[in-house]
Amino acid sequence: MDLKPSVKPRRPPVPVKIVIAGGFGVGKTTAVSSISEIRPLTTEAAITSVAAQIDRTGEVPAKVATTVALDFGCITLDDSLKLYLFGTPGQDRFGFMWHDLAHGALGALVVVDARRIDDCFPAVDYFEKVGLPFVVAVNLFDGELIRDLGDLRWALAVDAGIPLITFDARDRISVRDALLAVLRHTRSRIER
Amino acid sequence: MSLDPDSVDEPPPRERPYLSVTGDGGRDEDVDATVSGLRPYLLTSGRAEPVDRTLEIEAQVQTVHLGDGLSFEYREIVELCTVAMSVAEVAARLKLHIGVARVLIADLAAQGYVIVERPDLPAHDANLIERVIRGLEAIR
Repeated sequence: MDLKPSVKPRRPPVPVKIVIAGGFGVGKTTAVSSISEIRPLTTEAAITSVAAQIDRTGEVPAKVATTVALDFGCITLDDSLKLYLFGTPGQDRFGFMWHDLAHGALGALVVVDARRIDDCFPAVDYFEKVGLPFVVAVNLFDGELIRDLGDLRWALAVDAGIPLITFDARDRISVRDALLAVLRHTRSRIER
Repeated sequence: MSLDPDSVDEPPPRERPYLSVTGDGGRDEDVDATVSGLRPYLLTSGRAEPVDRTLEIEAQVQTVHLGDGLSFEYREIVELCTVAMSVAEVAARLKLHIGVARVLIADLAAQGYVIVERPDLPAHDANLIERVIRGLEAIR
């Protein structure tokens, strides 16, 4: 095949990814937006009509119309390494998408709204099952934690070895630190 | 870590203890979870399976050959990927279903129009993790 001179190929960066999971409206996309170097992109929602029926936003205000979509952003770490953040709705019926997301991920951040923690259970169950290291991060929407972290851990029924942190999805440094918590947790699992 | 697609497609129905899950826990059997808003066949000559169906959504696509005579949907990808980007980005920017993008990119790669940089797997390599940690720590 004759190569056209119009493109000078450079070796693309090695991609790595972290999954941002959690229920609808918990701040996944906000977290991605806060730290991504590109405006977060959304892939086509394959199951929008289904999503409309199972979205139980209930008492959570200001997010009425929800589509099932994969929101993502990225951070160029250096010339040869690029980190992708994939935000996924953590509903167990989207199982077909989970493998794509979790396969090869460095770890996962499970974002929790303390007012409705059960929304994160499908994600927690899934990551436990496939053995993907994850950190549970309570999004402090208004800067205050409604429940005690000890109570939350009990209610979440996560192993004592799973880090439980708080963060503010709107704050870049806070999101960075939450991602670092994921990576350090993954590192500690390798070392074990 | 092993992620066997056959065993993980359906997360377990187990409910975590101590809390009553409202409603039916998000399950209702009459909803077809496989329903798709867009049938991919029109764009992929009837194929729903990419040549390489394992192509990761974060795999980087880089054009190396701007081919003449490519049909519209292929040409768009080749023109877009003169700057390397992920399979997911191609799907999002061209408003393609991610499965369609994967098929088209795999076709282009098989024909030598693009090269694909796939993630180093398994990703749980201590050196790689350290590099990512250092990169994130540099963010201010």
